[in-house]
Amino acid sequence: MTGKSWKMLIGISLLQLGLALASAAQQAAPETAGDLKVVQLTGLTGVKNHTKGTVKVADGNLQFTHAQAKTEVAIATIEDVVTGNDSQRAVHGFVGTLTMFAPYGGGRFLSLFRTKLDTLTLQYRDADGGLHGAIFTMSVGQADPLKKLLVAQGARTSLPTPDAPAGADGKPSATKEQKP
Amino acid sequence: MKREMRMVVAYFLLASVAAMISGWRVLAARPLVSKASAIQVLMIESDEIKLPAEFQVSLYEDLVHQLEKSGGFQHVYRDGDKRAGDAADLIVLHSTVRGFKKGSEMARQVTTVSGKTSIDVHCQFTDKGGKVLLEQDLNGKVQFFGGNLRATYDFAKKAAKLAHDNFVASPAS
Repeated sequence: MTGKSWKMLIGISLLQLGLALASAAQQAAPETAGDLKVVQLTGLTGVKNHTKGTVKVADGNLQFTHAQAKTEVAIATIEDVVTGNDSQRAVHGFVGTLTMFAPYGGGRFLSLFRTKLDTLTLQYRDADGGLHGAIFTMSVGQADPLKKLLVAQGARTSLPTPDAPAGADGKPSATKEQKP
Repeated sequence: MKREMRMVVAYFLLASVAAMISGWRVLAARPLVSKASAIQVLMIESDEIKLPAEFQVSLYEDLVHQLEKSGGFQHVYRDGDKRAGDAADLIVLHSTVRGFKKGSEMARQVTTVSGKTSIDVHCQFTDKGGKVLLEQDLNGKVQFFGGNLRATYDFAKKAAKLAHDNFVASPAS
């Protein structure tokens, strides 16, 4: 084998290794209720939209912690928890906005590079019975385990996951309805 | 020639100012549908259209925030709030999604002309007893900048303005 072939072989191997590592990092989902890095898009009382923080499930509450304070939602008050998916620019935020003014369509080109996101949407009631909605985004693969954890602790969902805990009648527990 | 040009420009300026004043008078003189000091926002319904949960919640939350911010009501109650029952001159906002097109943020950023996200919502304002006071279709869209959920903000702003113009007396009148 010539030196050129060896170089090519090593190059391909490194590329495959890189892809495998990236894929593993994306699929690694936490099994426990540890702190998850999230962005609260909207809905939590007293928290500004698009606030970065962490969520965890503890003492029957969903706790969102960010730089200034901690906000809790009692899991028993959650009437619906639904997961979804979305994507955002790999270069986002203020820097992302600045890149839109890059010359020769550089900003548009950067828009092609995107990262996938999971979304978790909650509907819950406050002490007066008022309905609130909250939306979180988080890394891929994190929303479903969090949803399962919330459902296991008493939150209700309109879209039960296939392996959700079953009630006495064989149907998933605490579900409202099965959406088409 | 210069003098004639100046006269033409002055004429157009005067005509524009006159049109603005006349439009403002029409708006100021428009009677309210009904006077209300409190509004209750019900959760967005989407029986006919399959709407992702995050859009439904975002529509509802943006609507509540915009009504609190610029609706002019003393109280904005959420769906199911027990305190709404005691509120005098309360109106209730029912919103039903009639159309939804989820665009693509990437397509908008790359092409500028495609990837529009659009939501059509039928808004119905009723009194406590359920009597319909006002009905109107509103649209929320995001055409250039921002994520898909920004369409819900656009709708909420329009709905808050509609509520303010028809149910809250402005200081000018």
